[in-house]
Amino acid sequence: MAPRWKGKGAEAKALADPVSKIVAQLQSSLIQTSASGILSGCSVLIAAEAEQTDLFSRACFGRPIVTVDKDKQWFQLSLEEAFFLCYSLKCLKIKVGDSSPKSYEELWHCMITRKETFSDLYKAYSHLRMKNWVVKSGSQYGVDFVAYRHHPSLVHSEYAVLVLSEGVGNDLNGRLRVWSDFHCTTRLCGSVVKTLLVLYINRNGNSNVSPLCLEKYTVEERTVSRWSPEQCREE
Amino acid sequence: MEGIFRGGSESDDEIFLQQANDEDEYHYSSSSISKLQFRKELSRARWVDGMGMAEVIEKKGQIWVTTGIVRNGKTYCSIEEILFFMEVGALCLVDDNDTCICLEDIYKKIEGKMGAYCLELFDVYRHLKSLGYIVGRHGTAWSLKAVKSTCRPVSLQVSEESSEVMTLGSADKLSIIELFGTMQINDMMPVFDVYLPNSRFRKSSPGSPNFTLYLSRDCPPSKAEIEVLERRCSGIPLKICQVDNGRVSFFSFDKVELLVLP
Repeated sequence: MAPRWKGKGAEAKALADPVSKIVAQLQSSLIQTSASGILSGCSVLIAAEAEQTDLFSRACFGRPIVTVDKDKQWFQLSLEEAFFLCYSLKCLKIKVGDSSPKSYEELWHCMITRKETFSDLYKAYSHLRMKNWVVKSGSQYGVDFVAYRHHPSLVHSEYAVLVLSEGVGNDLNGRLRVWSDFHCTTRLCGSVVKTLLVLYINRNGNSNVSPLCLEKYTVEERTVSRWSPEQCREE
Repeated sequence: MEGIFRGGSESDDEIFLQQANDEDEYHYSSSSISKLQFRKELSRARWVDGMGMAEVIEKKGQIWVTTGIVRNGKTYCSIEEILFFMEVGALCLVDDNDTCICLEDIYKKIEGKMGAYCLELFDVYRHLKSLGYIVGRHGTAWSLKAVKSTCRPVSLQVSEESSEVMTLGSADKLSIIELFGTMQINDMMPVFDVYLPNSRFRKSSPGSPNFTLYLSRDCPPSKAEIEVLERRCSGIPLKICQVDNGRVSFFSFDKVELLVLP
């Protein structure tokens, strides 16, 4: 399925302004200001400086929170987004309450305790982000994530992403277990013109006690689609 | 709203239309059930009990170009082929005494000949065949010539030895279950090798099928299972079908590598 750009000029605009460049700018800006966020529930709150506000929006991290605070724009990041900025891009410190910033190990522990599926979802999230796809929550479409080729204002998301853990008994996400799940998911994806992308996370026998384990996890990408014999009679 | 194809009110209509199409098959009156066009060309085949197949004794029309296997100059057709062409009125099946065997007797026979998933297999066969696809049993050569002049991958070749078995001189039955019993993986079995509709198809040189079709009997496959099947198909694409009360669905699980974007 070809990308569906939103209107004339969107594709050219995207080409001229690659996501990797925007994310790199956000990264260096956050490093410069020694940015830090506050872990609260299953979100991380961060107050962005004027310049960062624009970068957060363009790189598509978090959701802006509307407050009366004139000097700062607050953003609410998902656990995956926050941990990606913190651990993979090393540009964000994360605190819990008034304490000093958490170490990667402590933070990892906090996150897997708050969200049982975090380790595999994070692997999937970072896998896509590392390939410069824009990744947002897929809850509106009943999937884990949706992946965009560029900013959602320029292009529709192409992939509806489900994360499946390989190996017996440890698939906490519990998706696509019976055929009716496949029918349901492919039908929904079809009606919103997205391709169903399944990311199989294999821990290769490693635990999830430390973020260092992530390196040993592997990701396999497969698209799952209905084939229609009525429409595919010719090559 | 993001993602809806044409946006606005049209999308509601589309959903409504889609639903209407899905429910088209439920008829309030029997007169609206579609009827097949009467065929005037009737082929004849004789049931060979020991083989679980029928020998074609009178060929009419073009159907035999893509139906039945050729052994020792004779054409034999499988239970699903017999049933399909009997349903459309293109084949008359007779027993040793040249008495016609009726559709009802065939419906009774298939349970024994195709195993427990007989009707599901037949649903799949009928679905593809009626759309013009060329459908052969997985792993069964169309003709022995095809085996010799083969261009198929090694693993799909039928060895001389096993093709001897398929000359059907012996009393060997070609029951799908027997044939695939050893090849079955967990819940899946390879059922058909499928070619796209193609007027130049020759049984003597069929080429590689466009895909091998697996029938899922209960649970969808895990990734590990798909990988085993892929290795077994050695390069020929695979699709998995699932049958729910006569409704056949086909799924592809394609390994992809997502682009690294700029």
